[in-house]
Amino acid sequence: MEIYLPIAEQSMNVFVLFALGAAAGLLAGMFGVGGGFLATPMLIFVGIPPTVAVASQANQVIANSISSLQVQWRRGNVDLRMGLVLLLGGMLGSSAGVSLFTWLKRIGQIDFVIAVMYVLMLSSIGLLMLFESLRTYFRRRRDPTGPRGKLHTHYLVHRLPWKMRFYKSKLYISAFLPIGLGFVIGILSAILGVGGGFVLVPAMIYLLGMPTSVVIGTSNFQILFVAANVTFLQAVTNGTVDVVLALLLILGGVVGAPIGSRIAAKLPGVVLRGLMAVLVLGVAMQLLFELLRTPVSAYSLGVREVLP
Amino acid sequence: MLRAAGAIAALLLSLVATAATAQRVERAGPLPGPSLGGPADSSVPPSVPSAPTVPELIVDLSQARVSITSAFQGESLLLFGMFDPPGEIVVVVQGPPARETVMRKERFLGLWLNTGRQSFDDVPAYYFIAASAPLQRLLARGAGGEILSLEDRLSSIRPVRWRSSEELAKFRGGLVEVKRREDLYPAAFGQVTVQANRLFRAELPFPSRLPEGVYDVRAYLLREGKIVAAVSRPLPVGKVGFNAQLAGWSRQEGALYGLGAIVMALALGWLGGAVVRRL
Repeated sequence: MEIYLPIAEQSMNVFVLFALGAAAGLLAGMFGVGGGFLATPMLIFVGIPPTVAVASQANQVIANSISSLQVQWRRGNVDLRMGLVLLLGGMLGSSAGVSLFTWLKRIGQIDFVIAVMYVLMLSSIGLLMLFESLRTYFRRRRDPTGPRGKLHTHYLVHRLPWKMRFYKSKLYISAFLPIGLGFVIGILSAILGVGGGFVLVPAMIYLLGMPTSVVIGTSNFQILFVAANVTFLQAVTNGTVDVVLALLLILGGVVGAPIGSRIAAKLPGVVLRGLMAVLVLGVAMQLLFELLRTPVSAYSLGVREVLP
Repeated sequence: MLRAAGAIAALLLSLVATAATAQRVERAGPLPGPSLGGPADSSVPPSVPSAPTVPELIVDLSQARVSITSAFQGESLLLFGMFDPPGEIVVVVQGPPARETVMRKERFLGLWLNTGRQSFDDVPAYYFIAASAPLQRLLARGAGGEILSLEDRLSSIRPVRWRSSEELAKFRGGLVEVKRREDLYPAAFGQVTVQANRLFRAELPFPSRLPEGVYDVRAYLLREGKIVAAVSRPLPVGKVGFNAQLAGWSRQEGALYGLGAIVMALALGWLGGAVVRRL
């Protein structure tokens, strides 16, 4: 069954879009990340214009993070203070990101930048995850208990000024760190249409040194507002948010997420992370291949302008 | 048999009626003979005072407009009509003109990225020609001034920025390549089928990625290479209903549209999360 998408201005198979949303939801359920990093490239593969894919995906991220935040909030797993500081950076970053997006669109390089950023980001994260899970897997086989690390290690970044106390996260760090982190995630969110959870979560654990218990909830809190900001700004400046597309993705996600968490409950964490690493690398390779191979046609058309 | 004849008669009657009410009949040059006066043509005084005469060329479409609904996947419209034999029929359908920007990819450090761009003004969104005889033969006889093949039509598009003529030709070629791929410039000439030497029909293929606007459908009657009658009809193409509303909001009320999208996502995410946890 085909449906016409009013903003993307083309017809698409309903089930393909629903399945994409479900796949993103499945990932969200399995790995606790938004799944946008997979859904956006997939949308582009099936022929949705990258600009529409990114903006509509940001809309879907809102739905994803609110349903996850519901649980986290009730369990008290949100460090509100940290969340707000991250959000400050996130709002600045996403607003700058949308302006950057608009500019890149105007000079005709947005598709290329989206593809390159995805390749860089996905391949580095995929490799990190793959090595980490392989190392854990082999270490565990040698020594089932494994050595425990410190609560968190101290780096040079902890000497930055403007220190703030984050009680829930048991941290006393410079506010520049979460603001900077939020800023970077905001830019990613605006240009790639991802929530950024798969960058934010490891960064909160390894860079900020937050306890794992509050990481997911706090990142969801920040992602929710940043995604809302991106959706709003994209709608105002570029008019590229396709709500019909977003609706199908959201409905798919609602179905996919519980299946994902059921699978996650049955598989050991290392295997799960290994699987995710392979998946992320696969998407990165596919995107890289698209950039490297000779295109079917060297020519493409930009935006049609009807002059008065 | 009798039924079929009745159906044909009804069709003819409706054609005449349509011609009398909704058509704009254009004259191509001075035309000889009193039998050519059409009821819609006010410039020619009615030379036959009795029953209204049938114009030389009558055209209608199976639909008054192309409606882009949620189920739209492209559409094929039927153009049909009647003409006074002898003659050949040519049909030209043109989408609204606009500025198109053609971008060219080149390999840069092993990666393919857009390195060149060229804009053209007055590029038709869509272009389709159908004829009842091989078009080359028809056009060669002198009607080429008004009836343009795609190549001729595109030779008049105006580059926004000047480059060397071979560069412009390359970009123009790229434009055709992309438009062909999207079926907006159908590669094959369409066939106008003539029946009983008077009735004709042609299929107009419209793809799913169809730009909106008012399209121009023109039919020409040619005799010995000369245009003796031409009929033009506007064909509006646009989103309707829900699609039109959403696209309109997105264009004009971006802020409201964005807020609406956020509220929708929040509501669905919240509900979805709540429902799923109950299961």
